[in-house]
Amino acid sequence: MSARVIACGLALALLAGCSEGQGTTGNLQGNPERGRAALAQHACRACHMIPGVSGPETYVGRSLVDLAERRFIAGGLPNNQANLVRWIRNPQAIDPHTAMPAMGVNERDALDMSAWLLQPAN
Amino acid sequence: MTSNRTRLILKTAAITMVLGGFVGVIGGVVVLRAGWYDISASAQHLQPVYTMLEQALRYSVRHHASDVVVPPLGAAQQVARGALLYSANCAQCHGGPGFAQSKIGQSMQPLPGPLIDANVRWQPRELYWITRHGIKMSGMPAWEFHLSDADLWAVVAFMRVLPTLSARDYAAVTAPALLPATVPEATQAATQAATTPQVAR
Repeated sequence: MSARVIACGLALALLAGCSEGQGTTGNLQGNPERGRAALAQHACRACHMIPGVSGPETYVGRSLVDLAERRFIAGGLPNNQANLVRWIRNPQAIDPHTAMPAMGVNERDALDMSAWLLQPAN
Repeated sequence: MTSNRTRLILKTAAITMVLGGFVGVIGGVVVLRAGWYDISASAQHLQPVYTMLEQALRYSVRHHASDVVVPPLGAAQQVARGALLYSANCAQCHGGPGFAQSKIGQSMQPLPGPLIDANVRWQPRELYWITRHGIKMSGMPAWEFHLSDADLWAVVAFMRVLPTLSARDYAAVTAPALLPATVPEATQAATQAATTPQVAR
Protein backbone atom coordinates (compact mmCIF):
# COMPACT_ATOMS: atom_id res chain seq x y z
CA MET A 1 0.00 0.00 0.00
CA SER A 2 2.53 2.57 1.17
CA ALA A 3 5.00 1.30 -1.42
CA ARG A 4 2.38 1.98 -4.10
CA VAL A 5 1.82 5.50 -2.79
CA ILE A 6 5.57 6.14 -2.85
CA ALA A 7 5.81 4.73 -6.37
CA CYS A 8 2.97 6.99 -7.51
CA GLY A 9 4.67 9.96 -5.86
CA LEU A 10 7.93 9.14 -7.60
CA ALA A 11 6.18 8.76 -10.94
CA LEU A 12 4.49 12.12 -10.46
CA ALA A 13 7.80 13.69 -9.47
CA LEU A 14 9.41 12.26 -12.59
CA LEU A 15 6.58 13.53 -14.75
CA ALA A 16 6.87 16.94 -13.14
CA GLY A 17 10.60 16.81 -13.81
CA CYS A 18 9.94 15.93 -17.46
CA SER A 19 7.74 18.87 -18.14
CA GLU A 20 10.18 21.17 -16.35
CA GLY A 21 13.19 19.83 -18.21
CA GLN A 22 11.72 19.87 -21.68
CA GLY A 23 11.03 23.56 -21.56
CA THR A 24 14.61 24.66 -21.19
CA THR A 25 17.05 21.85 -21.79
CA GLY A 26 15.74 19.79 -24.68
CA ASN A 27 15.13 16.14 -23.89
CA LEU A 28 16.61 16.00 -20.41
CA GLN A 29 14.46 14.42 -17.73
CA GLY A 30 14.63 15.15 -14.01
CA ASN A 31 15.03 18.23 -11.87
CA PRO A 32 18.47 19.77 -12.33
CA GLU A 33 18.32 21.99 -9.23
CA ARG A 34 17.50 19.02 -7.07
CA GLY A 35 20.29 17.16 -8.83
CA ARG A 36 22.75 19.86 -7.86
CA ALA A 37 21.88 19.39 -4.18
CA ALA A 38 22.07 15.60 -4.55
CA LEU A 39 25.55 15.88 -6.10
CA ALA A 40 26.68 17.77 -3.00
CA GLN A 41 25.06 15.32 -0.58
CA HIS A 42 26.39 12.14 -2.21
CA ALA A 43 29.99 13.29 -1.88
CA CYS A 44 30.54 13.53 -5.65
CA ARG A 45 32.37 16.79 -5.07
CA ALA A 46 35.04 15.04 -2.97
CA CYS A 47 36.59 13.69 -6.19
CA HIS A 48 35.04 15.69 -9.04
CA MET A 49 34.95 19.40 -9.68
CA ILE A 50 31.35 20.18 -10.61
CA PRO A 51 29.85 23.45 -11.86
CA GLY A 52 27.60 25.03 -9.26
CA VAL A 53 28.81 22.79 -6.41
CA SER A 54 31.48 24.34 -4.21
CA GLY A 55 34.34 22.33 -2.79
CA PRO A 56 38.05 21.63 -2.91
CA GLU A 57 40.38 21.77 -5.86
CA THR A 58 40.53 18.07 -6.63
CA TYR A 59 41.71 15.90 -9.48
CA VAL A 60 40.93 12.41 -8.16
CA GLY A 61 38.03 12.04 -10.57
CA ARG A 62 37.82 14.05 -13.77
CA SER A 63 36.26 17.48 -13.82
CA LEU A 64 32.58 17.38 -14.78
CA VAL A 65 32.56 20.98 -15.92
CA ASP A 66 32.10 20.22 -19.62
CA LEU A 67 30.33 16.88 -19.33
CA ALA A 68 27.55 17.93 -21.69
CA GLU A 69 30.14 18.43 -24.45
CA ARG A 70 31.70 14.98 -24.17
CA ARG A 71 31.11 12.25 -26.78
CA PHE A 72 31.74 9.39 -24.37
CA ILE A 73 31.51 8.75 -20.65
CA ALA A 74 33.09 6.02 -18.54
CA GLY A 75 35.69 5.35 -21.23
CA GLY A 76 33.41 4.13 -24.01
CA LEU A 77 29.72 4.65 -23.35
CA PRO A 78 27.91 7.09 -25.62
CA ASN A 79 27.18 10.16 -23.55
CA ASN A 80 23.44 10.26 -22.98
CA GLN A 81 21.25 10.59 -19.95
CA ALA A 82 20.30 6.92 -19.66
CA ASN A 83 23.95 5.82 -19.72
CA LEU A 84 24.97 8.51 -17.26
CA VAL A 85 22.29 7.37 -14.82
CA ARG A 86 23.49 3.77 -15.16
CA TRP A 87 27.09 4.86 -14.59
CA ILE A 88 26.27 7.00 -11.54
CA ARG A 89 24.22 4.24 -9.91
CA ASN A 90 26.60 1.35 -10.45
CA PRO A 91 29.96 2.13 -12.06
CA GLN A 92 31.34 -1.34 -11.39
CA ALA A 93 28.61 -2.91 -13.50
CA ILE A 94 29.98 -1.02 -16.50
CA ASP A 95 33.69 -1.08 -15.67
CA PRO A 96 34.67 -3.58 -12.96
CA HIS A 97 38.10 -1.94 -12.56
CA THR A 98 36.97 1.64 -12.18
CA ALA A 99 38.10 3.49 -9.07
CA MET A 100 34.73 5.22 -8.88
CA PRO A 101 32.66 3.66 -6.12
CA ALA A 102 28.92 3.09 -6.11
CA MET A 103 27.58 5.77 -3.76
CA GLY A 104 24.17 4.24 -3.14
CA VAL A 105 22.38 6.74 -5.35
CA ASN A 106 18.75 5.92 -6.09
CA GLU A 107 17.17 6.22 -9.54
CA ARG A 108 15.50 9.57 -8.93
CA ASP A 109 18.62 11.21 -7.49
CA ALA A 110 20.76 9.82 -10.34
CA LEU A 111 18.31 11.18 -12.90
CA ASP A 112 18.29 14.61 -11.27
CA MET A 113 22.10 14.59 -11.04
CA SER A 114 22.39 13.73 -14.72
CA ALA A 115 19.95 16.53 -15.55
CA TRP A 116 22.25 19.03 -13.81
CA LEU A 117 25.45 17.61 -15.30
CA LEU A 118 24.14 17.42 -18.87
CA GLN A 119 22.74 20.93 -18.93
CA PRO A 120 24.42 22.88 -21.71
CA ALA A 121 27.02 25.30 -20.32
CA ASN A 122 25.40 28.54 -19.31
CA MET B 1 49.13 75.55 5.87
CA THR B 2 50.00 72.31 4.06
CA SER B 3 50.59 70.60 7.39
CA ASN B 4 47.15 71.72 8.59
CA ARG B 5 45.59 70.35 5.45
CA THR B 6 47.47 67.04 5.76
CA ARG B 7 46.40 66.78 9.39
CA LEU B 8 42.77 67.33 8.40
CA ILE B 9 42.96 64.64 5.72
CA LEU B 10 44.55 62.16 8.13
CA LYS B 11 42.01 62.97 10.84
CA THR B 12 39.08 62.53 8.44
CA ALA B 13 40.50 59.26 7.16
CA ALA B 14 41.00 57.93 10.69
CA ILE B 15 37.50 58.90 11.83
CA THR B 16 35.97 57.41 8.68
CA MET B 17 37.81 54.15 9.26
CA VAL B 18 36.74 53.95 12.90
CA LEU B 19 33.11 54.72 12.02
CA GLY B 20 33.22 52.22 9.14
CA GLY B 21 34.56 49.55 11.46
CA PHE B 22 31.86 50.38 14.00
CA VAL B 23 29.10 50.08 11.41
CA GLY B 24 30.63 46.79 10.24
CA VAL B 25 30.63 45.34 13.75
CA ILE B 26 27.00 46.40 14.31
CA GLY B 27 26.02 44.86 10.99
CA GLY B 28 27.82 41.64 11.91
CA VAL B 29 26.12 41.45 15.30
CA VAL B 30 22.70 42.01 13.70
CA VAL B 31 23.24 39.24 11.13
CA LEU B 32 24.52 36.93 13.85
CA ARG B 33 21.81 37.68 16.38
CA ALA B 34 18.96 37.57 13.86
CA GLY B 35 20.11 34.08 12.81
CA TRP B 36 20.19 34.96 9.13
CA TYR B 37 23.26 32.85 8.50
CA ASP B 38 22.14 29.44 7.17
CA ILE B 39 24.00 26.88 9.28
CA SER B 40 22.47 23.83 7.54
CA ALA B 41 24.77 21.24 6.00
CA SER B 42 22.82 21.46 2.76
CA ALA B 43 23.62 25.17 2.28
CA GLN B 44 26.93 25.30 0.46
CA HIS B 45 29.72 27.76 1.09
CA LEU B 46 30.25 30.14 -1.78
CA GLN B 47 33.19 28.86 -3.81
CA PRO B 48 35.46 31.82 -2.91
CA VAL B 49 34.74 31.24 0.78
CA TYR B 50 35.49 27.52 0.43
CA THR B 51 38.68 28.24 -1.47
CA MET B 52 39.82 30.72 1.17
CA LEU B 53 39.16 28.26 3.99
CA GLU B 54 40.99 25.54 2.07
CA GLN B 55 43.98 27.84 1.58
CA ALA B 56 43.94 28.76 5.27
CA LEU B 57 43.94 25.05 6.13
CA ARG B 58 46.92 24.46 3.87
CA TYR B 59 48.97 27.32 5.31
CA SER B 60 48.07 26.45 8.89
CA VAL B 61 49.07 22.81 8.51
CA ARG B 62 52.27 23.74 6.70
CA HIS B 63 53.20 26.15 9.48
CA HIS B 64 52.35 23.92 12.42
CA ALA B 65 53.88 20.77 10.97
CA SER B 66 57.15 22.41 10.03
CA ASP B 67 59.09 21.12 13.05
CA VAL B 68 57.73 17.56 13.08
CA VAL B 69 60.58 15.07 12.90
CA VAL B 70 59.78 12.25 10.49
CA PRO B 71 60.97 8.75 11.48
CA PRO B 72 61.93 6.16 8.84
CA LEU B 73 58.77 5.23 6.95
CA GLY B 74 57.82 2.35 4.70
CA ALA B 75 58.94 -0.83 6.47
CA ALA B 76 56.69 -3.67 5.32
CA GLN B 77 55.44 -4.37 8.84
CA GLN B 78 54.64 -0.70 9.43
CA VAL B 79 52.71 -0.39 6.17
CA ALA B 80 50.81 -3.59 6.90
CA ARG B 81 49.80 -2.27 10.30
CA GLY B 82 48.86 1.08 8.75
CA ALA B 83 46.56 -0.72 6.31
CA LEU B 84 44.62 -2.34 9.14
CA LEU B 85 44.41 0.92 11.07
CA TYR B 86 43.24 2.74 7.95
CA SER B 87 40.56 0.16 7.29
CA ALA B 88 39.39 0.30 10.91
CA ASN B 89 39.44 4.07 11.49
CA CYS B 90 39.76 6.08 8.29
CA ALA B 91 37.86 4.24 5.54
CA GLN B 92 34.44 4.89 7.04
CA CYS B 93 34.76 8.61 6.29
CA HIS B 94 37.40 8.71 3.54
CA GLY B 95 36.61 5.57 1.54
CA GLY B 96 39.35 3.71 -0.33
CA PRO B 97 40.22 2.20 -3.70
CA GLY B 98 36.99 1.22 -5.42
CA PHE B 99 34.70 1.75 -2.46
CA ALA B 100 32.90 4.75 -1.05
CA GLN B 101 32.87 6.08 2.48
CA SER B 102 29.88 5.17 4.66
CA LYS B 103 26.72 7.27 4.59
CA ILE B 104 28.02 9.32 7.52
CA GLY B 105 31.19 10.14 5.62
CA GLN B 106 29.20 11.02 2.50
CA SER B 107 26.95 13.39 4.38
CA MET B 108 29.54 15.39 6.28
CA GLN B 109 30.13 19.02 5.33
CA PRO B 110 32.88 19.74 4.56
CA LEU B 111 33.29 16.42 2.78
CA PRO B 112 36.07 14.18 4.01
CA GLY B 113 37.97 13.86 0.76
CA PRO B 114 39.52 10.72 -0.65
CA LEU B 115 43.05 10.01 0.58
CA ILE B 116 44.11 8.55 -2.75
CA ASP B 117 45.81 11.86 -3.50
CA ALA B 118 46.86 12.70 0.07
CA ASN B 119 50.54 12.09 -0.64
CA VAL B 120 50.40 14.57 -3.53
CA ARG B 121 48.81 17.29 -1.40
CA TRP B 122 50.76 16.81 1.82
CA GLN B 123 54.21 15.98 3.10
CA PRO B 124 54.43 13.00 5.50
CA ARG B 125 55.00 15.35 8.46
CA GLU B 126 51.83 17.23 7.51
CA LEU B 127 49.79 14.03 7.23
CA TYR B 128 51.07 13.07 10.64
CA TRP B 129 50.16 16.46 12.10
CA ILE B 130 46.64 16.38 10.62
CA THR B 131 46.03 12.82 11.80
CA ARG B 132 47.38 13.56 15.25
CA HIS B 133 45.70 16.91 15.89
CA GLY B 134 42.60 16.74 13.68
CA ILE B 135 40.99 19.67 11.87
CA LYS B 136 38.75 22.02 13.81
CA MET B 137 35.13 22.40 12.57
CA SER B 138 35.62 19.73 9.93
CA GLY B 139 34.80 16.57 11.85
CA MET B 140 38.37 15.26 11.52
CA PRO B 141 39.19 13.92 14.99
CA ALA B 142 42.50 14.34 16.80
CA TRP B 143 43.71 10.74 16.75
CA GLU B 144 46.44 11.51 19.26
CA PHE B 145 44.18 10.30 22.04
CA HIS B 146 43.05 7.13 20.27
CA LEU B 147 46.15 5.87 18.51
CA SER B 148 49.72 5.49 19.71
CA ASP B 149 52.43 7.57 18.10
CA ALA B 150 53.79 4.51 16.29
CA ASP B 151 50.31 3.82 14.94
CA LEU B 152 49.93 7.41 13.72
CA TRP B 153 53.13 7.01 11.73
CA ALA B 154 51.96 3.61 10.48
CA VAL B 155 48.85 5.28 9.04
CA VAL B 156 51.03 7.95 7.41
CA ALA B 157 53.29 5.24 5.96
CA PHE B 158 50.25 3.43 4.55
CA MET B 159 48.86 6.62 2.97
CA ARG B 160 52.04 6.84 0.91
CA VAL B 161 51.30 3.37 -0.49
CA LEU B 162 47.53 3.79 -0.83
CA PRO B 163 47.54 5.50 -4.26
CA THR B 164 49.34 2.51 -5.78
CA LEU B 165 46.71 0.00 -4.64
CA SER B 166 43.89 -1.33 -6.80
CA ALA B 167 40.65 -2.35 -5.17
CA ARG B 168 41.87 -5.95 -5.13
CA ASP B 169 45.24 -5.00 -3.57
CA TYR B 170 43.47 -2.99 -0.90
CA ALA B 171 41.17 -5.88 -0.05
CA ALA B 172 44.20 -8.14 0.28
CA VAL B 173 46.17 -5.90 2.65
CA THR B 174 43.18 -5.14 4.85
CA ALA B 175 41.89 -8.71 4.93
CA PRO B 176 43.06 -9.72 8.42
CA ALA B 177 40.05 -8.58 10.42
CA LEU B 178 41.63 -8.80 13.86
CA LEU B 179 43.57 -5.72 14.84
CA PRO B 180 45.91 -6.08 17.80
CA ALA B 181 45.88 -3.13 20.21
CA THR B 182 49.47 -2.06 19.59
CA VAL B 183 52.48 -3.85 18.22
CA PRO B 184 54.34 -4.56 21.50
CA GLU B 185 51.12 -5.39 23.33
CA ALA B 186 50.00 -7.76 20.60
CA THR B 187 51.64 -10.74 22.18
CA GLN B 188 50.21 -9.78 25.55
CA ALA B 189 46.72 -9.57 24.06
CA ALA B 190 47.20 -12.91 22.38
CA THR B 191 48.12 -14.62 25.64
CA GLN B 192 45.19 -12.91 27.35
CA ALA B 193 42.87 -14.11 24.59
CA ALA B 194 44.20 -17.60 25.09
CA THR B 195 43.34 -17.64 28.79
CA THR B 196 40.08 -15.65 28.83
CA PRO B 197 37.34 -16.55 26.33
CA GLN B 198 36.23 -13.53 24.30
CA VAL B 199 33.12 -12.81 22.31
CA ALA B 200 33.75 -13.32 18.61
CA ARG B 201 33.43 -10.20 16.49
